[in-house]
Amino acid sequence: MKYDDKLITMEGVIVEVHDGCVGIDLKGRLGYLKIPMRMLITDYEIKVGQEVGFKMSFVEQLGPEPNLKYISNQQTYQKRQAEKQAAKETGKEETK
Amino acid sequence: MSITAETAQEHKNDPAVLCCRLEAGNQIQPANLEDPAIFDDLVDSGLLNLDGCLKISQVLGATLTKTCDSLSPITADAVDKIQEEEEEAPALEAAPEEAPAPAPAVSVAGPVSGGTLKIHIGEGKEINIEIPMGFSGGNGVAVAPVAAPAEMKDEQNAEEPAKVVRSVTRKHYAISEVKRGPETKIDGTVLYIREGIEEEAVASQELVHELKLDIITPDKYNTYSETIMDVQPIAAKEGEDEIGSGVTRVLDGVIMMVTGTDDNGVQIGEFGSSEGILEENIMWNRPGAPDKGEIFIKTEVTIKEGTNMERPGPLAAHAATDVITQEIREALKKLEDDSLVVNTETFEQVRRPGKKKVVIVKEIMGQGAMHDNLILPVEPVGVLGAKPNVDLGNVPVVVSPVEVLDGCIHALTCIGPASKEMSRHYWREPLVLETLHDPEVDLCGVILVGSPQINSEKFYVSKRVGMTCEAMDVDGAFVTTEGFGNNHIDFASHIEQIGMRGISVVGMSFCAKQGALVVGNKYMTNMVDNNKSEGGIENEVLACNTLCHEDAIRALNMLKVQMNGGKVKAAEKQWNPNVKANNVELISNVTGKPIELVPNETSLPMSKKRKEKYS
Repeated sequence: MKYDDKLITMEGVIVEVHDGCVGIDLKGRLGYLKIPMRMLITDYEIKVGQEVGFKMSFVEQLGPEPNLKYISNQQTYQKRQAEKQAAKETGKEETK
Repeated sequence: MSITAETAQEHKNDPAVLCCRLEAGNQIQPANLEDPAIFDDLVDSGLLNLDGCLKISQVLGATLTKTCDSLSPITADAVDKIQEEEEEAPALEAAPEEAPAPAPAVSVAGPVSGGTLKIHIGEGKEINIEIPMGFSGGNGVAVAPVAAPAEMKDEQNAEEPAKVVRSVTRKHYAISEVKRGPETKIDGTVLYIREGIEEEAVASQELVHELKLDIITPDKYNTYSETIMDVQPIAAKEGEDEIGSGVTRVLDGVIMMVTGTDDNGVQIGEFGSSEGILEENIMWNRPGAPDKGEIFIKTEVTIKEGTNMERPGPLAAHAATDVITQEIREALKKLEDDSLVVNTETFEQVRRPGKKKVVIVKEIMGQGAMHDNLILPVEPVGVLGAKPNVDLGNVPVVVSPVEVLDGCIHALTCIGPASKEMSRHYWREPLVLETLHDPEVDLCGVILVGSPQINSEKFYVSKRVGMTCEAMDVDGAFVTTEGFGNNHIDFASHIEQIGMRGISVVGMSFCAKQGALVVGNKYMTNMVDNNKSEGGIENEVLACNTLCHEDAIRALNMLKVQMNGGKVKAAEKQWNPNVKANNVELISNVTGKPIELVPNETSLPMSKKRKEKYS
């Protein structure tokens, strides 16, 4: 990576709290992060609306080629989604 | 920032650099010197050049001959004379993890009070202790002090035999085929699972909407699977036996595998999931992973949408799978034909009085949802009867090493497939096995401690860990954790709490590049990194970076060195895989036993495209 040591300060707001993760909106509409609990350091009870901060650099591509493993996982996910959606709709029609 | 005389002493062999401007003619004091801890960063950024710089011990007390600015390294031409070192540097700055030379260390605690004579023998041979007759009145009255403690000889204590306090026998039953049939039973080496058992598993849990059971034989290793949530041995206690004692029956050649998504197709344990082609995502033969050639009884559980990140979701997926496992356990319990037993092994917890007493502290996740573990079920790695460690408040729970090996933990397993410890990991925990079988140490127990979310709770539990170790009066402790993240805060705190009580301590974690520790303290000097991946990162390959036999050996030797007064070299600033290679070589040289290193992700098959990319 070429720019990984250029640390910048980021701030965000906790917008979702689950047992296992939190969702964070980055201030300035710069993105959204969903992170598992253990990646969040907390001194207080976690509440929606609390502000958080961290340092990051910019996200860089590691290479030009897509990794087939992730493409195939993505496709499987989409296929399952479609199947589930179809099953839900047929279920609805049957109940009608 | 200037340093104190104490810090100067600790860093006497580090470079001497002025912290602020000092005029010529002044004598150099510790207060004039900069803390060496910050030098690495300064050197890296080019602000400091340490070429020709003298050591702190060489400049203290010398007079500066020319005025220097702050952050100037003190070189030979800037002082009137180079101080002689006060004492010889320790003979050997003992290389890390060097195996200890047998060092007889005997301490005999002095006079007796209240009729109690305390004799502590660290390690020794041919010790003869004689106790004058007639002093063991036993009535609690302070009697005359024992004459010349140094002359006391106690043959009985020196020869006190090792004692087996607990043992578990594992009977192995080989399974060569898994089929569906009208009832769940074991017939010879064939395991039949009842058709339609899925409906009962689904019905047992409100949150579970669907459960698919797949039997994965080696020819199906190249198929797609949802994220692997857990790998479990199939084992049952014989008769009324309890976990940690008696006889356990276990099936060889077959394991349970829990996988699943929610109704929307989102993986349970959404982060760092290992979904994909099985054989590309499993690091075979790791303690927690399946062995190559085993048959997987794989459940694919679908839970209510949106519950994959709430506590009841992952738990329901595990509980539904356990309905099936429990039925297999019942069938296993019914077996009467002892000729089916292919192998029997016995795990004995041996207490070795007089040897260094050690304890293993295993930090397990307790932040919530899939970051949870069920402790002490009725059946090995079962669900019934177990208490989630989140509900126990994550406080330390002391178990026997034999209970750990007998499946006292059902892991809901955290995120990060490469570093998470599956239920099966505890069943074959290498550090427990290695320490249990080492005749040079006395393993007294295993402390399981959860890792809570909030910092104040983390410190609350780690203080209890420290107090437990104090009460156990151990000489040494291992602290292990799985993965990385905020659990490193309590990991560091456990080590501090143990270290501040004068107990030798070795920490074990996945660190390398990605899991670098976020905090540290002065007791964190002896650390073993569990990384195996090529790049030092979470590589999404199941169990790749978990604690293995080779790590256990390194940690055990490191702890022995420290308990026997040896020193472990300070770590390098950046992760360097050669440190491990050197230590492994050192240990094999000293012990004469070669250590075989486990393979990493580079040994797994890659798709054609990936191969082109990486070659």
